[in-house]
Amino acid sequence: MKETESVSVLPVLPLKNSVLFPHLLMPLAVGRPTSVAAVEAALATEGKEIVIVAQREASTDVPGLDDLYGVGTRAVIKKMARPNESQMELIVLGVERVVLLKLEQAQPYIRVRVRAWPLPDEQSTEVEALHRAVVEMAGKALTLAQPQAPPELGQFLAASDDPLRLVYLLAGMLSLELAKEQSLLEAQSRSEALRLMHTYLTHEVQVLELRTKIASETQSEISRQQREYVLRQQMRAIQQELGEKDPNQAEVDLLRERLAKLELPEEVRKEAERELGRLERLPPGAPDHQVIRTYLDYVVELPWNVHTEDQLEIGRARQILDEDHFDLKDVKERILEHLGVLKLNPGAKAPILCFFGPPGVGKTSLGQSIARALGRKFERQSLGGLHDEAELRGHRRTYIGAMPGRIVQAIRRAGSNNPLIMLDEVDKLGRDYRGDPAAALLEILDPEQNRNFRDNYLDLPFDLSKVFFITTANALDTVPRPLLDRMEMLRLPGYSEEEKIEIARRYLVPRQLQQAGLTAEQCAFPDEAIKAIISGYTREAGLRQLERGIGRVARKIALRHAEGDTTALTIRPEDLLELLGPPAPSPEELRKELPPGVATGLAWTETGGEVLYVEATLLPGGHDLIITGQVGEVMQESAKAARSYVWSHAQQLGIDPAVFKDSGIHVHVPAGAIPKDGPSAGVTMAAALASLLTRVPARRDTAMTGEVTLTGLVLPVGGIKEKMLAARRAGVRRVVLPRGNEKDLWGLPDKVRTEMEFVFVERIEEALAATLPVGGGDEKPSAG
Amino acid sequence: MPEKPKQLPVVLFARSHAGEATCWRPSVDIYRTRTGWLLKFDLAGVRLEDVDVEIEGCRVTVRGLRRDWLLEEGYSHYSMEIAYNRFERTIELPCKLAHPRLHLDYEHGILMIRLDTEEEHR
Repeated sequence: MKETESVSVLPVLPLKNSVLFPHLLMPLAVGRPTSVAAVEAALATEGKEIVIVAQREASTDVPGLDDLYGVGTRAVIKKMARPNESQMELIVLGVERVVLLKLEQAQPYIRVRVRAWPLPDEQSTEVEALHRAVVEMAGKALTLAQPQAPPELGQFLAASDDPLRLVYLLAGMLSLELAKEQSLLEAQSRSEALRLMHTYLTHEVQVLELRTKIASETQSEISRQQREYVLRQQMRAIQQELGEKDPNQAEVDLLRERLAKLELPEEVRKEAERELGRLERLPPGAPDHQVIRTYLDYVVELPWNVHTEDQLEIGRARQILDEDHFDLKDVKERILEHLGVLKLNPGAKAPILCFFGPPGVGKTSLGQSIARALGRKFERQSLGGLHDEAELRGHRRTYIGAMPGRIVQAIRRAGSNNPLIMLDEVDKLGRDYRGDPAAALLEILDPEQNRNFRDNYLDLPFDLSKVFFITTANALDTVPRPLLDRMEMLRLPGYSEEEKIEIARRYLVPRQLQQAGLTAEQCAFPDEAIKAIISGYTREAGLRQLERGIGRVARKIALRHAEGDTTALTIRPEDLLELLGPPAPSPEELRKELPPGVATGLAWTETGGEVLYVEATLLPGGHDLIITGQVGEVMQESAKAARSYVWSHAQQLGIDPAVFKDSGIHVHVPAGAIPKDGPSAGVTMAAALASLLTRVPARRDTAMTGEVTLTGLVLPVGGIKEKMLAARRAGVRRVVLPRGNEKDLWGLPDKVRTEMEFVFVERIEEALAATLPVGGGDEKPSAG
Repeated sequence: MPEKPKQLPVVLFARSHAGEATCWRPSVDIYRTRTGWLLKFDLAGVRLEDVDVEIEGCRVTVRGLRRDWLLEEGYSHYSMEIAYNRFERTIELPCKLAHPRLHLDYEHGILMIRLDTEEEHR
């Protein structure tokens, strides 16, 4: 070999995925035409020599020189056979590694000039040490990979005296990646080759160790499960032998017994039996077991056929309603009507009512009282801020932690299928991408559909038609129309002062005294004191502020008692300054006199009625109409209509039309921080403008409401009852209102009706005549 | 990683000497004669000038080259089993060969090496 000329020109056989190392034999299958040509060319020489080079990418089918590595192996073809015409099988023996120098020929096969590149002979302690380390590591890998491998192989490795041959031999035995094999072939020195091989072997040993570990862990896991299974089977057998039931079976039997006792609808029974069968077959450890159990528990506990008997005695019901709530005649009548219907037709559908009105007027407590009067179970659900449809209708059982919706939960809590369910704050439902709960309510609250209400969790039809639904709301404009359409609206408009005093005397004072631990003898609240609290410390349609005020007084008295001053006390209006602090001034009091350009209007809000003032002033030299005070679009338009009316009828009203040319007008509606909207201030604005331009102040004791058209018609508006109560609260005794609203006064307490003066108008001229004393007409001038 | 051909370890050449691993090994018959040793190598188709014999101590090494001389234009191998190119074979004899007389003979494709030792002549 020493005399081998170091440069030669040889055909090239590209190799996919593999490297041939010197000293090693390799069987090869050759099929590519260029490769076959190269082998044939090699065989047609005296020495049968060929260069075998790995190609960089296995996917390249006809590689050029660039697709091959730069270092290959000169090999001798030992044997060749053709299994068929186009294929060759070779056995090649690697001789030495060569560097590819130059492409001599590319077609029909590649011929290259190569130069032998032997590794320098190296004898150092480093090589010796690496050699031993590799032998040791190889032995380890061998025992891990093939525990049954013949020991001779290890001995043979150890006996190998040429480190390079050992490296090549190991490289042939391990299945290394192509890049690693090639790097071994291209090693610059023996020590580098050995070091590389040591790295690869270490990696191989680690992988093998891990694999062994995983295999043994899997094995032990399987055997643990098998043991458990066998033990369980044995336990079952022993229990059978002893006549005991296994706990799982006992549970199933118990459920089955409970199911049998219930009178379930056919569909429900079938479904429950089916689930019970599944539960029986599942091992207790299965994840579904608990889910089915909970579900069945729920089904069994639901009051499918349990209902409470309605108390149909009308006299008793009336008594209960009157005991709990003062006045509210409409609502009470409606409930008693329903009782009457039920008496005649026991199968009648329960009504779906909606109580709406300002906060604190007793909507929720009225619901409780109705339930008591009817003898039904009462359940309350607040829908405020609810924005997920699934909250009402439940989640399907496939979800982890799935639960029935609130309606079904309420029915289960009630324990009867005809409870009274109160859905509070239906106007404060939210909605988002998870769905619209209002849409789910449509089905729940429709008496035609809710006979077969399907909760997602139960997935069984439940009859909601016996449930007495009452919803409550403060305002109706946020409630979807279709939902409103399904409900019977009952308005609770707020209370007059007399009603408040009555309610306070009957309910609030005794309740607050009791909470403070006082008796009626220790602390008496005469009507004057209550009246003083109402007028000085509250501004509301409802009763919450009043109740809090009474509560504060009661607590202060309780403190005195606790400190030793146990004298019985009657609260006088003068005492309130000390007990509650100075009263809040009301905005009405600030307006002792109305200057020209100011008129008193009435507004409706969610919390009841309000008195508001419209102020107008001239802007000499200006042109426009300025409207301020957080006024909405509709209200701005009604201000413009009012001005246009006054402008166009200036002559009639005794106004010099030039004033509109020479100056602008500013209309302001305090309080500036509160947004306002709606057309009902039209009359007030027209009155304010007329007063401004005629320099006649409006009557202070007169408030007005109504929509104005350009032709001067006064159209009816809403919220009359709240507005009248607010006017009275503010000390206004005379109200100008549209003729069309005359009917709305029916709902007012008699006291209010007799005490107040109402002026019904059809046209704005009449309204102005009633408001501006000198402006015309036969009204007497009044200082107000 | 796709299927790759597995290299056959050189275990096939176990106990061979360093140089032999990359060559083929001719078969050999060894005779004991009255005067020494006769080594009969199966070296068909090898030219005598391509053979080199080396004796060192008790070792006899025969190495050389078998050239394929049938290289006709238009002929191509359909299969090949004969080993070509370098060969090398080292025989270790159980005694020391002092001043052997070497006689080479090549007949019918067999190389005969006669080794007559002085020992025998004494």
